[in-house]
This record gives sequence, C-alpha cells and structure tokens, in this order.
Amino acid sequence: MFDSKLSRRDFLKTSASAAATLAATQVGPFAGAAHAARDKELNILCWEGYNSAQVLDPFRSSKSATVKAESLTNDPTMINRLRAGEINVWDLINVNNPWARKIMLPEKLIKPLDRAKFEPYFAKMMPQFKPPYKWAMDDSGKDLLGMAQRFGPYSFVVNTDKISRKTAEDQGWDLFNDPKLAGRFGILESDDWNVFGICCIAGFDPYQPHTPEQVAKFEETAKRILKNKKVVGDIATMNQAMISGEIDCHLTGGTYSASPARADGHLNLRGVTPNKGPLAGGKGGIAWIEITSVVNNPHGSPLAEQFLEYVQAPEVAHTVAFAEGTFNPVAQMGNPECFKLFTKDQLEAIQWDSLEEEMARSVEYDIVPDYDKLLDIWNAAKKS
Amino acid sequence: MIEKTSVLAQPGRRAALPIMVLLALGFVAPLLAVVGFSFMPARTFGLWHEPTLENYETIFSDNTYVSLFWSLGLASATVVLLALICYPVAYGLVRVFGRWSTVLTLLFTIPLVVSENIRLYGWVLFFIKGGVLPGTLRTLFGVEMGDFLFTPAAVLFGMVYVYLPFMLFPMTLGIAMVPNQMREAARDLGATRWQVFREVELPLSTPGLMIGSLLTFVLAVGAIAEAKVLGGQRIIPITHDIEIAFTYAQNWPLGAALAVLLMLVVSVLVLIVLRRFDLDQILGKR
Amino acid sequence: MTGTSEPILRLKNVRKAFGNLAAVDDINLSIGEGEFFTIVGPSGSGKTTLIRMLAGMERPTSGDILLRDKRINDTPANERPTCMVFQSLALFPHRTVGQNIEFALKIRNVDPATRAKRARELMQQLHLPADYYSKNVTLCSGGERQRVALARALAFDPQILFFDEPLSAIDYKLRKTLEKELKDIHRETGKTFVYITHSLEEAMVMSDRIGVMRRGKLIQVGSPNEIYSTPRSRFVSEFMGDVNVIPVESNGAGSVRSQTLGASFKVPPAAIESKAQCLVVRPEFLRFLNSPSDAQNSLKGVLYNEYALGSRIQYQVRVGEKVFLVEKLRQQPFKGKLDDEVLIGWDPENSILVADE
Ligand SMILES: Nc1ncnc2c1ncn2[C@@H]1O[C@H](COP(=O)(O)OP(=O)(O)OP(=O)(O)O)[C@@H](O)[C@H]1O
Ligand SMILES: [Mg+2]
Repeated sequence: MFDSKLSRRDFLKTSASAAATLAATQVGPFAGAAHAARDKELNILCWEGYNSAQVLDPFRSSKSATVKAESLTNDPTMINRLRAGEINVWDLINVNNPWARKIMLPEKLIKPLDRAKFEPYFAKMMPQFKPPYKWAMDDSGKDLLGMAQRFGPYSFVVNTDKISRKTAEDQGWDLFNDPKLAGRFGILESDDWNVFGICCIAGFDPYQPHTPEQVAKFEETAKRILKNKKVVGDIATMNQAMISGEIDCHLTGGTYSASPARADGHLNLRGVTPNKGPLAGGKGGIAWIEITSVVNNPHGSPLAEQFLEYVQAPEVAHTVAFAEGTFNPVAQMGNPECFKLFTKDQLEAIQWDSLEEEMARSVEYDIVPDYDKLLDIWNAAKKS
Repeated sequence: MIEKTSVLAQPGRRAALPIMVLLALGFVAPLLAVVGFSFMPARTFGLWHEPTLENYETIFSDNTYVSLFWSLGLASATVVLLALICYPVAYGLVRVFGRWSTVLTLLFTIPLVVSENIRLYGWVLFFIKGGVLPGTLRTLFGVEMGDFLFTPAAVLFGMVYVYLPFMLFPMTLGIAMVPNQMREAARDLGATRWQVFREVELPLSTPGLMIGSLLTFVLAVGAIAEAKVLGGQRIIPITHDIEIAFTYAQNWPLGAALAVLLMLVVSVLVLIVLRRFDLDQILGKR
Repeated sequence: MTGTSEPILRLKNVRKAFGNLAAVDDINLSIGEGEFFTIVGPSGSGKTTLIRMLAGMERPTSGDILLRDKRINDTPANERPTCMVFQSLALFPHRTVGQNIEFALKIRNVDPATRAKRARELMQQLHLPADYYSKNVTLCSGGERQRVALARALAFDPQILFFDEPLSAIDYKLRKTLEKELKDIHRETGKTFVYITHSLEEAMVMSDRIGVMRRGKLIQVGSPNEIYSTPRSRFVSEFMGDVNVIPVESNGAGSVRSQTLGASFKVPPAAIESKAQCLVVRPEFLRFLNSPSDAQNSLKGVLYNEYALGSRIQYQVRVGEKVFLVEKLRQQPFKGKLDDEVLIGWDPENSILVADE
C-alpha cells in the first residue's frame, strides 16, 4: 500500500533533496565529500531502460564500479534537479534531443565531449545521425554535446482492428476531433507530450510562439478532449485498455508505448504517424531522440565517458533497445553488426517496417516557448 | 528538595537526545522545508528567494477546490462506507470468534505486503471489458455490464478495498473490548437485543469506530493510486495535484503550498472531530 | 421466615454441565418469598453458574427452574422479573450515575421526568449525594459505585435480586457498612434476595437461610444457626470457621474413640450415627481445666502459641501431633505460659458428630 503514498513519498524525497540542496549551496557537503576519488563510481540520471540491471551489470563488473541510476519519466524534472544543485551528484544525464543544446549547455549544466573520440561513433549509426548530428552539437556547430541512441516516432496509437492504419494516417490528429470517438479513446499521461498533442489537435504547431487566440483554442481543445476521453493513465493502463477493447486508440504514444504490447503479440496495437498536420513543413508527427550528455559535475567521474562508449557496442546497444520496460529502435542499428542481433519479432515490436517513413513524416521533439502557460491550462482542465 | 536542572541533566533525556535529533531531522526538517517552499515564488528551486504569498493566491483563485473537494469527498465517502461495511463484519467476527477476532482481522492485512498498485491493476483486469467480471456476466447470464471502470465509483470501490483493514482492525478491537458483562447487565435490566446494541454495544464501541474513521480518513485523503489506476484519472485528487506540481509542472512552491493546505485542512477536521467526540469521555476516565 | 412464606423460586434437579464438568449438579431448592438466601462455597463450587441460571444468563442442561410455579428455563434474562448485581458491578461507563440508575426505566420507555424522579428517590434511599446525578459513573468511589449498582437494580423493581459477591473487592470497614445497608434495603423493600459470598461472616450477618455448595452440589441448607451449630459434614463445619476436628470411631452407647489420641470421649447418645466419623468441637466450647474431673472429656497438652482475635484470644494447644484451638474472651485470658503443660476439656453436649466428607 505504501506505493500509493507516491506523492507523499516523492514529496518528502523532493523536499529532503531540496533541503540538501540548500545545505549544499551554503555549506557545500557535496564539495567536501566529492574530494574523495570518484573513479569507481558513476551516477546516471535517465529515462527507464538505462537503469536496468541488464545494461548496468556488465559495466559494473568490468569496471568493478558502483553505478547508480535513477530513472524519471520527464525531462524538465531531470533538468530542474541539476538546476537545484544536483549537478554535484550526477555524471550523466539522458534526456530528449533539444535540451542539451538549447538549455543545458547555455546554463552550463553539461560539458562538451571529446569530439575526436566520439564523432566516429555517429558515422556508424543510421543515416539520419550522420555527423555532425544537429541535436548532438552546440549552436555554433563546434562542440559535441552528447551521444544519440534510442529514438522513435511518437504521435498516437490505434487498435488497427477498430481503426485502420490508413484511416488513422489520413485523418491524423483530426481523429480526436471526431465526436463519434468520444468515450472511446485514452490519454497516455505524459504532460509535455500531452501539450504537444493538444496543440496538434487544435491545429497549430506547438513549437511556435502562440497568439492569444491559439491559447484560447488550446484551452477549449484541452477541455473537450479531456471530457471525451475514457481514461488517463500510464502505458500499462493504455495497452490493457486497448487490448480489452475499452478504448480504440490513445493520444500521445508510439513505438515507445506500444512496443511492450506488440512484443506480447498484440500486433493490432500500432503507433501511427499522421500523413500531414500542423507541424513545420506540414508534417503530422513528432519524434524524439535521446541525447546522453556528461554533466558539468565539478567532481565528475571518469567513468562517464567510458559508459558512453560502452553503450555504443553492438551487443550493449541491442540490450538497451530491449531493456526492461519499453522497447525502442536505436541509432546503432545502422551498424550491420548490431542490426543482425535483432530477431524478426523484435523488429516487429518496434515497427521497423514503417520506422523510416514515420521518422520522415515527423518533426523532432522541441521546446514549447510558452510551455508553462499551456501546461497550467492543461492541468487545470484535467480537474474540471 | 527541588533542584533546578538543565533540560539535559536527566539521564533519560540525554539518552533520548539522539532519537529526538533524528526525529527532528527526519520529520520536522522536511516539513519545515515544505512550509518554506510554499512561500517561494512559483517555479523556483531554492529557499533563498523573497517570501511571497503568490502560491496561496494561485490556489485560491484557481480551481484547486475541485481536487480538494474530490479528496475530502471521496475520503468521507470511504469512511462512511467502511463504517457501514466493517461494523457488521467486525460485530459478526467478535460474536463468532470472540477474543480471536482481532487476531483474525490481522489476516486482512496480509494483502498489504503486495504493492497497492499491483492489487489495483488486479481489479482493473477484473472490471475491464472482457475481464473477469464483465466476461463472466456475459457468458453466464448474457448481461452486459455498464461502465464501471474509470468512473468515480470505481475510485471509491478501490479506496474502500484498500483501506478496509485500517477500519476493520480498530473496529473489531473496539467491539471485542466491550465487556460481555455490559451486555448481560443491560439484558438483565430488560433490554432487548436491539436495545443492548443501541444503548450499550454501539456507544461502547465508538472509540474503535472513531479511531478507525480517523485513520482511514487521513489515509484516504492521501490516496492517489486509486484515482489514477481505477479511475483512469477521471478525477484528480489533491494528492495528484501535488504530484503534478512536483513532477511535470516542476512548480515545487505550488506543490508545497498545496501540501500545506491539505495538511491544514486535514488537521483542522481531525481536531474538530476529536473535540466533538472526547475519546476519554467515551472510554470512561479512570 | 423460611417455612412460613410461599416459595417464589423452585429448583428441581437443576444441572449444568460444561463439557464433562458438572458445574452445577442436581440441585433441588425452594426459596421463599421475601427471603434473604445466601449461597456460600469455595471457589469453583458452582455458585456463579447457579445464580446465572436463575437470572437467565445461562440455560440449565437439565432440570427445571420455576418462578411462582411457572417454568422459566427458556425465558430470556430480559423477560424475567429478576435482576442481578454483578461482582464487577457492570456499570455503564458511558453513562452518568443518573443514567445508569434510570437504565431499566428508559428501556421501558418511562418518560424522562418520572425516570429522574425515581432515580433521585433511590439515590436518597442509598445515601448518594443528589449532585451525583450527573456525575460520570467512572469517577465514583468503590462504595458509591456499589450503591449505584444497587440503585440501578432496584429501579428495575425486580421480584428477586441476585448478588454475585458484590462486596468482595471492598475494604472491611466499608463492607460492614454496606452489609448493614443491604440488610436495611432488604427489610424496606421486602424483596427476595439471593446472595453469593465467600465470607461466612457476611452470610451469618445477613441471611435468613444459607446454602452451602461444594463441587456443584448443595450439601446443606439451613438457617445460619443450624449451619453453625449442626453442620452435617466435616466440610461444612470447617467452612464455617476454625474448628477442632477429631477422627473417631463409635465405641457403642454414648462414647467414641480416637485412634490417634488414644482416648475415648463421651457424646450425646442421640448424636451417634453409623457413618459419623468425625467429632467436631468449636474452639469456644473448649476450656482450660484445673483437674481432669472439671469436664467429662479432657486431654493433656502443651500450650504452644496464642493469637489475639479482636474480642477473643485463641490458644493453640498441642496434644501429641494434633493442635487444638481454644478460644477465650479477651477480658478473661488464660494465665498460663507458653510451653506449660495444660489440661483442656469440653462437655459432651458441645460436641457434634459429622460425616467425614
Ligand atoms: N462458561 C464456562 N465454560 C466452561 N466452564 C465453566 C464456565 N463457567 C464456569 N465454568 C466452570 O464451572 C465451575 C464452576 O464455576 P463458577 O464460576 O460457577 O464457580 P464459583 O463458585 O462462582 O467460583 P468463585 O467463587 O471463584 O466465583 C468452575 O470449575 C468453572 O471453571
Ligand atoms: Mg463466582
């Protein structure tokens, strides 16, 4: 039952870390502690997958190191942890593409990698990651800020027994404006992605500054979508509800969320990327690419870079792709050595057949200029 | 002779000092941090900004009352339902098993070793379309079950289910603690079974009822998983609001203010109840 | 009072078994209207079980209980015109003194004003201060609570009142006062009282008749005087206080012989029964002699010890292995010294022959 106290526990944890932060900035216990050599320890802040034993254990034993990884499912949370002083704690941070170059580098939360050492890895990745890869570089194009690995299209998921892939791709986000769908769709809880999705349903690009009319439209759409939804929940809930027939499709999802169900044989659950939409260039889909960067920790561990190299190895990359939780394509599949490790079922689970075209129809995850405002509207709408 | 001694002069107090410090650090410090954060400007991450009331203003101008209403409403409904369900159960247990009944109710706590989320997902599989219940209803009786999962009723069901042991145990204890001679004396004085219940057993077992109600209320106000899992977030309790503020919204001060508000509301309610029903009085001061 | 009044309660072969144990075993008894009947007996002898059957809290395994000739075995407690004062008193802790007393009236839907009036009358009768009416009953002293319990039972206006050792937890002085008050209440109300006690003194002071229980059986019933002066068994005689018991055999006409003491004693001829195997002499009937001819029965012994018992002094005299008890009034103490040789003796009419059981 103690799980239910999630909020309270998180809350205490957060406040405790806040208190620690406070202490850190004033007294600096981390500074004191950190003088101890950190060449046998590594702390990773990441999305789930990198924190799995499958990925970490071989590294731990080969380096006889203590590796701690904490997984969160939200980029801003991780970045705010660094901002709040945990820059002294973490060595690696794994978040979606825009944060490294647009936020973390300007705020000096991360530091550049040795370009000569790491750029060659990009050459072996899938074609779209050919160096210099935009999201891994700083604005000037001089510094390499992180390594790419997992990625995927992420728009919405349908049950193709109920809504054909073609209908879904043709209708795109407008599907959710159809009153006939009321009570038959779910919302995968993931607030930043939910904000993107509502913008797309409302018919405008989330990544451009918004006019007051657009904000009003956002609010109206948010309320309507929330009113018509059947359920809001996590990945497991969405997949369960889709499989059982409680819902026919769900908002904000893709390979990342549908792959566990597909791996279980439910191939009728499919991430869909619209043919067209309100995004830049008339595109209809959004895709994410994770960039893992070295935190600008004053006492950073030398293991950080070694870990980045470690996960480039074909076997490890394959393990990362199918680590516990969700399953995802990895950039290293461009290397035949890596690709051959994937079975037919695994390729089916991550929708390999349509991956290239879906990525082509998607814009890449970006930062919403008025995110806070839209998020407040979204959260308020959830309550009413 | 009365000696003036410093607070720490007594060995007992000195021995208790580490525990007090631990308590202060582990319990009071985070609490103070929360209170402190609630006065910080929105979306900041430190305690060194100039204090402000803006978070509280936001709460009161916002529709926070909706989630507060859901939390308090669901918690109250849970308590009422649990009281109605558990009293007869506890009464029957005590009647049938006597002294062993309290031990028996501890068996109800065994499911607590399984994570609440897992148990709730179990209920999702039970109620979901084609799941255990609707499936059985359809194949056996040809009845289509109306929507239940992902409704407020499902949330209430989940809360009643999760908090049942916390009501049942104190209640059984309360009823088991009514001396049998009280019943006999009342009956001997002419009371029918119903009158014995109304005049003696019910009032004498109210401490159990009260403790169970307070316990379940405080726990139920803090419930979050039921609304998320069984309710499909059809409703957002205040705890979920707090979680959102601390995670997705990254607005710690707002979350802290919400938490402080919740603590205040719950404390005031509990104090009112405790004042209204003086436990000592019911139990009989000795 | 016994023989004259009509029996209000009759027990016929009443038996109560808990598993293999017969807690109450085949009891026959009549209790008269208005009688103060006391049941005494050692712990576990079945007193409580018996009285609980009479009050309707326990059902007899077999036999009949008749209240004014009506069989009440199956009448539940709340429908019997009887009321019990428990050893624990069982006062309702969530009620005031007044509410406790009025309980039975409230159950009968008597209107509040009448109820309060009756409660106040009873409080006055039982010497409870009037302002206790709204006092929390758990804050009352032991004696006060005793009175509240009695008032509560009296308010019910029962035809029979049962008491299960109500005074056992009360100190001596207060117990004496309450015993007297209880006896007064018995007189004033004229109700039938059935009273359980461990204390012989209590039984002697208050009862019209006493029943002695042993192992579930009622082994002797009689007035306090009968029980005291003509116990039917060694058990009853010993239960009624310190006595001198000498195992004896019949010697024929008016004489018994003790093997252990190697002596014969004269007894009233009528007292000899075939199975009478114990000679009982109460300590107050033994006296110190100057010469053996001063009494018809005499023994030589050594003064071993002496105890002051309030108004009397008890002397222990050793005769061989056996210790005899001799009691004298405090005003007329025996002048002997410890370890002196002494002569003790008694008259045949003061000896009782009882069965050795
Ligand atoms: N409910 C019961 N179940 C089993 N045995 C019982 C029960 N009630 C009484 N007994 C047994 O019956 C016997 C008589 O008990 P009872 O309480 O009547 O004795 P008592 O004379 O009142 O003793 P005391 O003077 O100690 O109160 C005891 O051996 C007791 O253990
Ligand atoms: Mg008894």
